[in-house]
Amino acid sequence: METREILLGNGAIALGIVESACQVVTAYPGTPSSEIVPEVIRFVKAGGFNTYVEWSTNEKVGLDIAFAASISGKRAACCMKQVGLNVAADSLMSCAYLGTVGGLVIISCDEPMPHSSATEQDTRFMAKFAKVPVLDPSTPQEAREMVGVAFSLSEEFKVPVILRPAVRVCHARQSITYRPMAEGKRKADFGRNPDRWAATPRFRLTLHAELNEKVMEIGKTFDGLSAHNFHDLEPGKKYPLGIVAGGVPYAVLRDILREEDRTDIPVLKLGAPYPFPESLASDFLSACEKVLVIEETDAFIELLIRDCYKVLGRLTGHIPREGELLPQIIHRKVSDVLSELGQQPLKKDEFAEAMAVVNSLELPIRKPTLCPGCPHRATFFAIRSALPKAIITSDIGCYTLGINMGAVDTILNMGAAITMAAGFYHSFAQDGVAQPIVSTIGDSTFFHSGTSGLLNAVYNGAKFILVIMDNLTTAMTGMQPTPALGIRADGSSGKAVSLERAVIGCGVEFMEAVDPYDLEKMNEVLKKAAAYVNDPGGGIAVVIARHPCLIAYREKALLKKKKISITEDCVECNFCIERFECPAIFRDQELGRTSINQQLCSGCGVCLSVCPTGAIVEAA
Amino acid sequence: MNTINLVLCGLGGQGILFMTKALSQVAIQKGYDVLGAETHGMAQRGGSVVSHLRLGDVQSSLVLPGSAQLVLALDENEGYKNLPFVAPAGRWFVNISSPSFPGKKVKDYLDVRGIQCRGIPASSIAIAMGEPRSSNLALLGYLSAFGEDPFTYGDLRLAVQQISPDRMREKNIEVFEAGFKRGIDERRSVRRA
Repeated sequence: METREILLGNGAIALGIVESACQVVTAYPGTPSSEIVPEVIRFVKAGGFNTYVEWSTNEKVGLDIAFAASISGKRAACCMKQVGLNVAADSLMSCAYLGTVGGLVIISCDEPMPHSSATEQDTRFMAKFAKVPVLDPSTPQEAREMVGVAFSLSEEFKVPVILRPAVRVCHARQSITYRPMAEGKRKADFGRNPDRWAATPRFRLTLHAELNEKVMEIGKTFDGLSAHNFHDLEPGKKYPLGIVAGGVPYAVLRDILREEDRTDIPVLKLGAPYPFPESLASDFLSACEKVLVIEETDAFIELLIRDCYKVLGRLTGHIPREGELLPQIIHRKVSDVLSELGQQPLKKDEFAEAMAVVNSLELPIRKPTLCPGCPHRATFFAIRSALPKAIITSDIGCYTLGINMGAVDTILNMGAAITMAAGFYHSFAQDGVAQPIVSTIGDSTFFHSGTSGLLNAVYNGAKFILVIMDNLTTAMTGMQPTPALGIRADGSSGKAVSLERAVIGCGVEFMEAVDPYDLEKMNEVLKKAAAYVNDPGGGIAVVIARHPCLIAYREKALLKKKKISITEDCVECNFCIERFECPAIFRDQELGRTSINQQLCSGCGVCLSVCPTGAIVEAA
Repeated sequence: MNTINLVLCGLGGQGILFMTKALSQVAIQKGYDVLGAETHGMAQRGGSVVSHLRLGDVQSSLVLPGSAQLVLALDENEGYKNLPFVAPAGRWFVNISSPSFPGKKVKDYLDVRGIQCRGIPASSIAIAMGEPRSSNLALLGYLSAFGEDPFTYGDLRLAVQQISPDRMREKNIEVFEAGFKRGIDERRSVRRA
């Protein structure tokens, strides 16, 4: 392996994990965290280490496994996106009380904006909620170093530690210099201690007191954690304004102040913001008349400072309360605060004028769409055709994009397609209304958190159609295998868990699998499923719409490519463009006709059955 | 070394990541510290894709608008959207699809700031060579013809060779060369005029 390589932030985190001789790594994929596990596997294979790495079926499962490894004395890491930590919250809260033996590091990746997440939640609050330390890196290199710090802290204080890199760390690329890596050699050794590891409520109070003690101690440690918590005050000097920043905003601020040569503005960087380094912050605050806090994704440090007269930030409206703090926003806000305090502002930003020019061009907005040939498109089209009056509950994955086809009515969280369908059923059934309901969920999401909802729906007598959109991969997050494939994270074979058997195991009595590319058959199965649901003796009908993802399986997903063209029979009704929404079908402005973009067309041929006038044909 | 800021943009599937890798490869071999930011996840499904690349002693992976010495666009509209990143006297290289590029309003803006604007029909070139997905290589080759340090022809060509998968290497170099030739021809005709 070369000594220096450009790594993704998630690669740098993976490197930190392997360098720390971590022996057990678990994760559920989710943007922006998904690349950590594949990179861990790359380093582990290169080193020939016997590190155990798994894609867990969900984040709670993953954290439980990592926790057991920790109390067996081994170092363990569990990786997820920020909303995944909600799923694992039950574990997190409890394991904070129980404590750790081997270092336990939870990596929860935040996503301001949110580019591909349900919320802009700030993992630092989850850390405080659970009373565990949290580290907030500014760069991939710092994230790598912080993984090591997190393992040491976890072992020193016997507490799980959270690393919360934001998307601009996870998906940054940086040149990183390698250091030697070594295999973890600890042997599993579980010391039975039911008062701790099986603590009943009586002992939990003691454990809570212990945890509170740890929080106080770690706060003091963070006062002196000078590699990640530091300021550049000159002794004895007073300043009209100081800035407190952590995470990605610190990196942005640091570059802006250097570029503008503003050494007159002191900065307190807090890479380890909780437990709050009270004494370090207090030094900084007493030297500055006002303090501006710049942090993502929410006001966290701003609340912990507890001096509402001195502090400016999100709560005072000086920093935007939502969205990503892009460099241009930080530049403008810092400049505004300087002006407000009668200080010299930053240099004028000249890009405002460019923005005005660009806005005047009225450029089309490119929204994400399902790929050409995506089997989900065929499934959604069939559902809309067969059951036009249905409420369609959906879930988290590529198929969220079915919203462009008018085929998605609700998205709540992982697994909610099924639970919400049950909720709709009971709400309407209570009024005696037979509302058609179709629940749509992907294969990986079904395994993540669909089964408990399905079991509940069957048990409580809900009636709806559940379409499991089985594309034989976890597509949105980068083609990780699902339990049904029997392929494990490192490519080795595991035991394949049949989707059909899981469905039947939940008590479902109607189940049919169909290839959605065959729209006619799909339509027929959906009608049959609807009849079963409506039958007084019926229940939940499961339709497995199975066709491999074209991106994951390429030519194997498309045995015969069809060349598509549009004939003179086209009446320009726009039905295909609006309802089928394939990127390869477009309106050619020059010709004034609906046309096929042959570069984009996958040749799946599903559109052949879509046109009301039969104008979409297979070219000879 | 001074900081060099680049922004690469286009649409999902156009190979922005490959271009970013090629440029990073050149930079790292010339001793630069490299930091960049990418688009992943939802936004990749046919949406706009932007990649930032910063060379030098920096910590933020994102480029401040108005400070990129070079913006490379694989799609004309995405090129316009990212125009605010171009620094005064910076360079704006765009894969063009319309004859009216860049239009009067934009041209006025470019002239006032001394921005160097260059358009190449990279998609047409790639399609004509039977490689419709390789417009990124045509644009890279074209850029190398105006090779300002650190992105000179020889180094970029070598990087493309190094990072191309085996089955694509030969074709990639062909399209890269076609873009390069287009750039060289333009430079010659300017000199003659």
